[in-house]
Amino acid sequence: MLDKPASALRIRERLIESERLMEETGCYDGITELQLRNQDPLKFETLHTKLRAYCVSAREMARRISASPGVREVGEMVVAIYTPEGDAIALSNGIMVHVHTMSRFIKWMIRNGYEENPCIRDGDIFANNDAFIGTVQVPDVMDVVPIFHSGKLVGWAGAVCHELEAGGITPGGDVALAQERFTEGLFVCAEKVGENDEIRRDYVIRCERNLRMPIYWVLDEKAKVASCIDMRESVKALIDEIGLDYWMQVSKEFIEEGRRAQLARTRQLTVPGIYRGHTFYGHVTAGKPGYQPLGDPDWLYNMPIEMEITTDGKIIMDFEGTQPWGYHSMNCTPAGMDGGMFVTLTQHMNFEGLVNDGAWMATELKLPHGTWTNPDNEMVATATSWALLLPAYGVFQRLLSRSFIGRGFVEEAFVGQVNSPMIEMGGTSQYGKLFGMAHFECAAAGSGALAIKDGLDTAYVGWNPESDMGNIEIWEQNMPMVYIGRSIVPNSGGAGKYRGGCSFISTWLVSKTDHLRLVTSEHSSRVFDNGGMCGGYPAPTCQKHRAVRDSNIFELAEKRAPLAHHTGTNPHRSELELRLQGEHVTMEGPYITAPHRTGDVFTHSYNGGGGYGDVLERDPLKTAADVENGYLTKEAATGIFGIMLDEDEDGYPVANLEATKRHRAEMRARRLAQAKPVSEWIATERCRVEKADFAPEVKKMYASAIKLSSRFTREFSDFWNVDAKSIFMPGAKP
Amino acid sequence: MTSYSKEVIADLVAGTLPWPQTRRVMSAYKDDDRFFKYVAVLQDRVGWKDPILLPVSDHLFICQSGDERVTRCECGHSFGDYRKNWKLKASIIVRNTEETLREIYPNSDIPDPQWMEIREFICPECGTMHEVEAAAPGYPIVHDFQPDLEGFYREWLGKPL
Repeated sequence: MLDKPASALRIRERLIESERLMEETGCYDGITELQLRNQDPLKFETLHTKLRAYCVSAREMARRISASPGVREVGEMVVAIYTPEGDAIALSNGIMVHVHTMSRFIKWMIRNGYEENPCIRDGDIFANNDAFIGTVQVPDVMDVVPIFHSGKLVGWAGAVCHELEAGGITPGGDVALAQERFTEGLFVCAEKVGENDEIRRDYVIRCERNLRMPIYWVLDEKAKVASCIDMRESVKALIDEIGLDYWMQVSKEFIEEGRRAQLARTRQLTVPGIYRGHTFYGHVTAGKPGYQPLGDPDWLYNMPIEMEITTDGKIIMDFEGTQPWGYHSMNCTPAGMDGGMFVTLTQHMNFEGLVNDGAWMATELKLPHGTWTNPDNEMVATATSWALLLPAYGVFQRLLSRSFIGRGFVEEAFVGQVNSPMIEMGGTSQYGKLFGMAHFECAAAGSGALAIKDGLDTAYVGWNPESDMGNIEIWEQNMPMVYIGRSIVPNSGGAGKYRGGCSFISTWLVSKTDHLRLVTSEHSSRVFDNGGMCGGYPAPTCQKHRAVRDSNIFELAEKRAPLAHHTGTNPHRSELELRLQGEHVTMEGPYITAPHRTGDVFTHSYNGGGGYGDVLERDPLKTAADVENGYLTKEAATGIFGIMLDEDEDGYPVANLEATKRHRAEMRARRLAQAKPVSEWIATERCRVEKADFAPEVKKMYASAIKLSSRFTREFSDFWNVDAKSIFMPGAKP
Repeated sequence: MTSYSKEVIADLVAGTLPWPQTRRVMSAYKDDDRFFKYVAVLQDRVGWKDPILLPVSDHLFICQSGDERVTRCECGHSFGDYRKNWKLKASIIVRNTEETLREIYPNSDIPDPQWMEIREFICPECGTMHEVEAAAPGYPIVHDFQPDLEGFYREWLGKPL
């Protein structure tokens, strides 16, 4: 491989030149005029549509090569075509978050002299899953191949699949227990893994010997390489048709057009100004097995976000005031943060025009060094970075939505995404073999409400707009558990005039194994990690796990007695406790315990979205239908929304409009009687703040934010009229 | 250029536009004349005459009130200068006990009140709940939105404020 001629590509110089031109002109690669677009707009648009078709077609083909239900069923894959400098020109549907992270990977190789060693040649295959090079988390493994035409590097084709098993300290891909990089699993760090369109045998052997379930990763590699080759050959044929010079120019104009379209869209849909919001995340691991004493076992993170929309149409997001990185798996790299921005923009603003890296270039992220958004230590773990990324970008969606409401585009306003906790597993399969897998039905949470309607039930996640929970039968083929329930969780959407989308809960019976490790990740404890909007409430996103070990379920089945199919609606006594005998377990935070075995029962619930608007304005008729269909309980309809329900002759709920009106008038009067002026509340709370009369984790959160951010310190001090530093960091220099 | 009647915008804002039609609005090119029609719809809805300059929430509007620009509730209550955080002039209900959180979350696990509270910001006159914050105890009240009103009208709408 090292016996090579000197590189004639000079791609690093080209990348530097491209960045200089952008800086000097403000336009991508110095493209100040869209000449080809102006010459023949139809040809321009047609070509981009063709490129997009190449991407969509390649992804669909590749999904059929994969063995992973995550890729085949749920669609956890994306492909894209890039310029020689690594900027995305066109992309497929799917997990679009990775279109820009892959761009970072290509640029990283270029900057690090890959054209000299290990060389960039026609037929080469490069892979990466290192988030500090360019991905989100270790299971997001990406492959890229260079596209050569007439001996010249003319672009790249790239593909990402989310792997269901990454070989980390706990089974699955989102390795919950990883506290440092060294426990996250198998890393492939911008590595040449194939030549002449063939994946190297030694790379496959490494995968086979370091993963619990290599069939997923290895066949996904083949799927990705096939899609890359497919796109490469399509692009080469296109260049034969339109000419190399035209291609080199038009591919850059596509990106500049994307950049301009994003700016125009911002000016069209939003209102300039400063927008602010925040959310929180709680992590509880004290006393749990496996956690090394590297940091605080229980912690609370704040995620404040300030978004500025300038009159130029630029969107600037600033995370100042958030928390430091930690010894946990939820840190994120700038690549992941970029990816979160990209996938959010593609869903909410880029519904017209060309979608590519140009949109991202019209934005700016301010990621304070040393925080979880931009760690100053590259050995930190990022295996479950979605845990913080999803809530943070849920805030971004609410901030954007405030601007849509201001401008009148209420149909685009959306309360935002939520975390969707993941369950992962490993051990001995129902076939008696070693196995490991992330269960990906989490890709179908409830969405936040819209400003004109309820959120989507069990049909949305932020990272992949084509949400899919996968078929039960497919999941059962891949794990030693069978479903005894998959149910809508009543009241799991945040309450509001329009409620958040509801989530679902799965209940499984462990079957045909004596060793099943179950692990969960990415769900907040003790705090909501989402929010409502314009008077709507957050969704109840701090759920606990419930399981029964050594249950009597087989005896009950033998007797044809009722089984538990979900946890029910009594938070103090679940259906499992009501119906099943055995050792009942209720656990807060990540589920890390001894292995399960046949006869155990386990439940896992996902999250609903936040609500929009005042609950007292909710439509009583719609609410009656919600109660009838199990999305709301009657208790919630009356107690939260003030809606009185009668029953018709068949026992179905019917809204009593007169009684509702009376009850709501009473609730409104009670509200006004209970409420006090904010100024009074501030005066009372100020005393508490002065004494730092808070839980240790809350105090620690304030101290950490104050240490990292002078702005947070100033704003906190100004708001409460106190010296925040002396309260939370006594003894520190002023 | 896409354009809709004021009636269609009114139905859209009220959430009463039939879903197939709403879908078409969502999928179509956006209507560049939306803002002023939207404001006209809202102006018809409120019971006061001060011209609405910018809606900032479901029932909160920045409006021109004599020489001042204020944030006003749909009921007419004024929260004062639009550049200041309207929440500071609102009324508040704080849910920071298991009992009060349970009223909103009757069937699920609830946050630890030591870690998180819910703050409901209410119009002191009509009792409309304008915003809900979920925050750690002691967290400063957030100022949601400071619009660049002058820049918006001058540079984006091309009209004097």
